[in-house]
Amino acid sequence: MRYTAVALLLITTLLAGATTANGQTVDEIIQKHLTAIGGADNWKKINSIKKTCVRMARGTEIPVTITILQGKGYRTESTFSGMTSYSIITDKEGWSYNPRNQQKPEAIPAETVKLAQDRLDIQGALIDYKAKGYKVFYYGTDDVEGTECHKLKVIMPSGKEETIYIDASNYYLVRIVDKIKANGKEQLQTTTYGDYQQLPEGIIYPMSNDNLTIKKVEINGVIDNKIFKPQI
Amino acid sequence: MKKHLCFLYVLLFVGVANAQTKINSYTFGAMEARWLGPGTMSGRITAIVGVNADSKTLYVGSAGGGVWKSTNAGASFKPIFDKYCMSIGAIAVDQSNPSTVFVGSGESNMRNTVSIGDGLYKSTDAGDNWVKVGLDSTEHIAKIIIDPKNSNNIYAAAPGPLWSDSKHRGLYKSTDGGDTWKKIFYINEKTGCADVAVDPNDPNTIYVTMWEFRRFPYAFNSGGMNSGMYKSIDGGKTFKELKNGLPEKPFGRIALTLAPSSPKDMIAIVEAKETGLYISADGGETWKSQSATMNVVSRPFYFSCLVIDPKDPKRVYRPGFGFSYSDDGGYSFSDASYDGGWVHSDHHALWINPNYTNQMYLGTDGGVYISLDRGATWMFVYNLPVGQFYHVACDNNTPYRMYGGLQDNGSWVAPSSAPGGVNNSSWQDMYGGDGFWVQPDLTDNNIAYAEAQGGNMGRIDLTNFKGVDITPQAGKDEEKLRWNWNTPIVTGQANHHNLYTAAQYLYKSTNQGRTWNRISPDLTTNDKKKQQQEESGGLSEDNTSAENHCTIFTVAESPLDENTIWVGTDDGNLQMVTDGGKSWTNLAKNYEAAGIPAQTWVSSIEPSRFDKNTVYVTFDNHMYGDMNTYLAKSTDGGKTWVRLNSPDFTGYAHKIKEDLINKNLLFLGTERGLFASIDGGESWFRMKNHIPDYCMVRDIQIQPQTNDLVLATHGRGIMVINDITPIRALTKDIVDKDVVLFTDKPIAVTTGMYGGGGSPVSGGWWGGNPDDIQPVEYYLKDRATKDVKVEIYDASGKLVQSIPGSKRKGINKVYWNLRWTPPKTATGGTKADFGGFIAPMVLPGIYTAKLIVGDKEYTTQLQMVHDNSNKLFSEDDRKLQYDAAMQLYHMHEQLYTLVDKINTEQKELKEYMEQVKKAQDKKALKEYYDKLEELRSTLLATKHKSIFADEKKLREYITEVYGAVCGQESRPTNLQQGRISVLNDDLVKAEKSHDKIVAEHGPKSTEIISAQKLRPKSIPANAGN
Repeated sequence: MRYTAVALLLITTLLAGATTANGQTVDEIIQKHLTAIGGADNWKKINSIKKTCVRMARGTEIPVTITILQGKGYRTESTFSGMTSYSIITDKEGWSYNPRNQQKPEAIPAETVKLAQDRLDIQGALIDYKAKGYKVFYYGTDDVEGTECHKLKVIMPSGKEETIYIDASNYYLVRIVDKIKANGKEQLQTTTYGDYQQLPEGIIYPMSNDNLTIKKVEINGVIDNKIFKPQI
Repeated sequence: MKKHLCFLYVLLFVGVANAQTKINSYTFGAMEARWLGPGTMSGRITAIVGVNADSKTLYVGSAGGGVWKSTNAGASFKPIFDKYCMSIGAIAVDQSNPSTVFVGSGESNMRNTVSIGDGLYKSTDAGDNWVKVGLDSTEHIAKIIIDPKNSNNIYAAAPGPLWSDSKHRGLYKSTDGGDTWKKIFYINEKTGCADVAVDPNDPNTIYVTMWEFRRFPYAFNSGGMNSGMYKSIDGGKTFKELKNGLPEKPFGRIALTLAPSSPKDMIAIVEAKETGLYISADGGETWKSQSATMNVVSRPFYFSCLVIDPKDPKRVYRPGFGFSYSDDGGYSFSDASYDGGWVHSDHHALWINPNYTNQMYLGTDGGVYISLDRGATWMFVYNLPVGQFYHVACDNNTPYRMYGGLQDNGSWVAPSSAPGGVNNSSWQDMYGGDGFWVQPDLTDNNIAYAEAQGGNMGRIDLTNFKGVDITPQAGKDEEKLRWNWNTPIVTGQANHHNLYTAAQYLYKSTNQGRTWNRISPDLTTNDKKKQQQEESGGLSEDNTSAENHCTIFTVAESPLDENTIWVGTDDGNLQMVTDGGKSWTNLAKNYEAAGIPAQTWVSSIEPSRFDKNTVYVTFDNHMYGDMNTYLAKSTDGGKTWVRLNSPDFTGYAHKIKEDLINKNLLFLGTERGLFASIDGGESWFRMKNHIPDYCMVRDIQIQPQTNDLVLATHGRGIMVINDITPIRALTKDIVDKDVVLFTDKPIAVTTGMYGGGGSPVSGGWWGGNPDDIQPVEYYLKDRATKDVKVEIYDASGKLVQSIPGSKRKGINKVYWNLRWTPPKTATGGTKADFGGFIAPMVLPGIYTAKLIVGDKEYTTQLQMVHDNSNKLFSEDDRKLQYDAAMQLYHMHEQLYTLVDKINTEQKELKEYMEQVKKAQDKKALKEYYDKLEELRSTLLATKHKSIFADEKKLREYITEVYGAVCGQESRPTNLQQGRISVLNDDLVKAEKSHDKIVAEHGPKSTEIISAQKLRPKSIPANAGN
């Protein structure tokens, strides 16, 4: 039967993650992506990153700072009306504090921490994905807001699923859709990236995502480990 | 026309034209359809399957709305199949690995309007991604069963094509987890497989029912000597027919099921000369006839669902016309009660939670219901917008109202916008039965015309929804009137007083249906061989007017001449008249010359509004097994025709619509998609603007005031693309530019055109509103890789607001809230103050929008005007409101400065206090600090953290008035004005208090600091003074 042959080809492609419709393998797509964003070697040299950003909300600029120490700690904090909220994820635990509705920092449930610990990875999911224990599946091309993108799904040992859309023309990251099943419910979070700039370290970095604009990036600066501890 | 011309876009562009950019739906990227649903009446559900392991993941298949998934037991659903076929026949979940899901496309409830599928799909990630794995040509798939002991073995029952002979039917099996398929049981080209069951204890034992059936445009046959029940005990290698105890053939459709907990116990409903219920206790080897209620055995071609409880072999469920259940293995049945509310009739799917068998989900012609008491009572699920509209019409109100009729769900009306957004409660049921055409009377705002099946029609008073029957009746010596299932009721486009309807004759009324004139002879072929509907149905007579034939199906009055009327019939006649109804011309032979098959159903006629001799017609030949898309155009009044075609077309054609302004802009709705052409039909593209790729688009309207494109979909309710002006404006030349910034019509300064409302409706379907503030729009030829933002400046060049821009390919929308940038508000305290998110609206005037894409800038002027639609808010009021808002804005910034000083002073004092040695110095500094704190605590909340603690100080009091004034469209009240004065006085007093504290304590502190050479921690000790 004609359709069984076609189906066999598609399924084989799908499950084996081998060759895509236009002859590229998943690893080739990833390699082109990594090359486009500055090369895996340059990314691997990054041990810490501090991003000073603003998030626009109804015309108001809210300062946001995101700090990551590779494999050790992740902290995002934002300040509004003189009050600073933060969220911390480390390789062991997590904390969150929002003075508008919390008296003191509260521990993030272990299940949630586990699902968020990929944030400690500055390199992102695709660099050395096999070594990280990730599985990557290719689902052909799909359009994201009119742009043809390669669609890759990353399944992490934590159970988190990340669908990554890579621009098929320039191989930049366009969108990530996180699917998280936690606390008895399934949640999707979509982040769309843009404003790609080359940093002195040789990497191409998306300087905006959704309403967040990165004003300054500090690579491999000194990071005080204290910021990964809860404090008021 | 002038009115529209003045709204035409001014296009400002910079960029170099290069190779032609292909125009497709992405060109109009951000113009996404609103899904108005509603979920109120929902639509036909064909499959429901849950995941046994968690009991809360559900997959729901619909007749025309694709597959919807819930991960919370039905509290919410998401569509997961919108890139594929919308007609769903069966769903199966591999319960041993629930990430694997199969969807068989093509519903198998073989009614006249059933759609077709295009194959079997598989997902290995719980519905996120799908791959078609075969059965491309079966058109209908009734059931998929996965061997519970070996997931590699899967069976698919394919009744096969409804409208033609075909080899693509029978029982199919996969032995490799669904990747490849082989047909393992086949009778002939007329007989497909209607049902399959697998013995869970012995999966090599398989039961199938084979069904001989066929539809014609004018009749249905269910039954034949080739129908039968079969059993295999070797996994499908061989089959034997089961006859013992069953009635004499011929058979029609047989529904069959076994008890999962006792698989030898089986029940079947066998359509025969006398359709009956049969029970077997020995795996189908022998059957015993059992009397049953009408509900259990009625309409077997349409009601094929029969389920036995997963744990209790005696508990049998028969979802049919109504819902029946048995506690004694099928020997007697009870019917569900309506204590939980009316349950829509016509049931097709049932899933029972095997972990808690009281919980079940029922799929009906009117959506999904949930029972928690084993089917005795049911609750409706209001959040599945899968209604099957046939037609839609709009009136000219503001907001305009949308009218439409649905398959088995009557006729409804709703506003296109509503305070808080259009939701389920916005919809009003206005006529019963199956709904089709609904026409508002554009000359009388309180009247609309609606119908039910069989040509029953009424004039509806929209003030109380009472109806008056206006169905034309046969006159003396006239033949019995033949009404199409979907009888046209149409108002005149040239003369809105004209009301038309048609059986085989065309009728016209000019007084709202109070009197009718027959203005045509029989316009059909009047082929008597196609008029035997009373014998239709096969073994079970089934004559619901669905098969009525040789009828008029479409009527269109030329927008340019009320005497030119076009009529299309379901048997291939295309007739027109230019003298109001005296002398008709049949143009059937003319269109046939263009390659359109004879006898083809004329599904829509669109006389051009730009040229009286130009007309577009769609033809639908699917009832003869021909699924091609037929669209033709004539520019000589129907004498000659050109077929308009495209390799992108899919599905038989339902509707062609010409734009109201741009004669080259056309929209085509088919059974499998919406298409558009911007070059008069030379080329076409599929519209994917938040519209499922293969959506069944039955009708298309363009509302003239809003320029909204309104779609009647047969499975996804009403969809609206708001304001298609940008589609009209974009031409092939323009899309080659890198960037185009649009200047649209003047922008009304408003807090929102559709009002607000209170708390949102809990649950149900929410269709939202159009943009309630007109966005800034621009076109990007390619997705921007650099930063994009829009800056708004006032006439003096002052920056009003900077807004992040979207970067998508095609048309983008940026939403400026028509306000200034919010003020700096005092920081600190124990509560967040949201004054920092509030800004005054700008005044009417000329503003500049600057679009910044990377290092390039594009500017245009924005004309902001007073909102004249709000009669209670004058321009003078606006000015007073603005002045008050700006006064409060400045008070916030003044307070910010004061508090910032205090915060800085306190911070330094705190550091000095830690450094001084002498107690009296520390005490002096502390007194200073405490005085400041005393003052600070009057300026902003400093004690209570709870969001429910209503601690208000000056900052909060200013925000209270500020928020009210900024958010209202009225001049400030006298008490608001008074309050502003009071708070301003408090602010001035606070500043004076601060000055006084500094004067009283500053010198002493300076003395201490200087004497001891203290310095803030932030200043290094060796930094000098």
